[in-house]
Amino acid sequence: MDFAPAEPARTEQNRSPAPGSVPGSAPGSVPGYAPGHAPGSTQNPPRENAAAPIGLKILIAGGFGVGKTTLVGTLSEIPPLRTEALMSELSEGVDHTSLVPGKTTTTVALDFGRITVDEQLILYLFGTPGQDRFWFMWDELARGAVGGIVLVDLRRIDDCFPAIDFFEDRGLPFAIAVNRFPGTPPVPEHEIRAALAISASRPIVQMAATDSRSSLNTLIALVEHSIAG
Amino acid sequence: MSGPYHWREGDSVVPAYALTQGRTRSKGRELGLETLVTATEYGHRHEASLQLESHTIVMLTTRPISVAEIGAALNVPIGVARVLVSDLADAGYLTVSLPIGMDENGRPNRQILERLLDGLRSR
Repeated sequence: MDFAPAEPARTEQNRSPAPGSVPGSAPGSVPGYAPGHAPGSTQNPPRENAAAPIGLKILIAGGFGVGKTTLVGTLSEIPPLRTEALMSELSEGVDHTSLVPGKTTTTVALDFGRITVDEQLILYLFGTPGQDRFWFMWDELARGAVGGIVLVDLRRIDDCFPAIDFFEDRGLPFAIAVNRFPGTPPVPEHEIRAALAISASRPIVQMAATDSRSSLNTLIALVEHSIAG
Repeated sequence: MSGPYHWREGDSVVPAYALTQGRTRSKGRELGLETLVTATEYGHRHEASLQLESHTIVMLTTRPISVAEIGAALNVPIGVARVLVSDLADAGYLTVSLPIGMDENGRPNRQILERLLDGLRSR
């Protein structure tokens, strides 16, 4: 299978900054809120942080039709859920026009799943919208995330470059997951790395989004990479 | 910390069940999609007095669930879920879990990540 172009299809030179780049906001305390402590309760002192439930998220990115929703469904312990976000509310620095009648807004559907890691640690998997024009909402999705998985279809590698560029630009840990569709032969990792212009330290997992074990191993590879920094 | 009924300067005088009509800004902007929400004892005691959407939220949050799940369950956009959750938290019905275990870049710290890794490996 000869999928690799003679030159890396993606280079430092041809990368363009992702639109809508805004600085992430640091997590801060919310007045009146406290971990594990009900507002208004004066009977109990605030508990230690260890008792408070923690929600984490990992983003599943990649081109349209590459298998993002399939991967979310394979990993999730519940049937994947769908929620909607209005574009304008997800763009920092833009007036919140979404709720004003008469303004034009676009609704973006987000598919997501859930893994209860332990009683107080819940991981959410968000499939990112595949269309380029929704990019500016990714900052919201990316903020505070463990990292991202970029799903790649080797027959259409160009489709994953926007996602790679985005994660690199934001400094967010990510792993490459080559979705091995039925009938596609294994590909030497160095060829994939060259075609994607991916550094040697970046994890590449050849997996099947329909297979729970290989999908879970992809998550593990990402978290290991995230810890290694 | 103020009690559930204590009105503060800047608080909305519009009840939560007016949803978000007339608002041009979400005060729940700081709530992440994955932010976990849990009903308080006070919330469970007084949920019957709440309007439909808010009542549903308090019933859904017997165990911690995310803002995104609330949006999906109510079939409302995330922005509306945020405002409802924010109002209910301000009124003492819900506890919102602050982002804890984060490093200086606002991402999960090593301790949290290792806990996550252990949990995934044991599956």
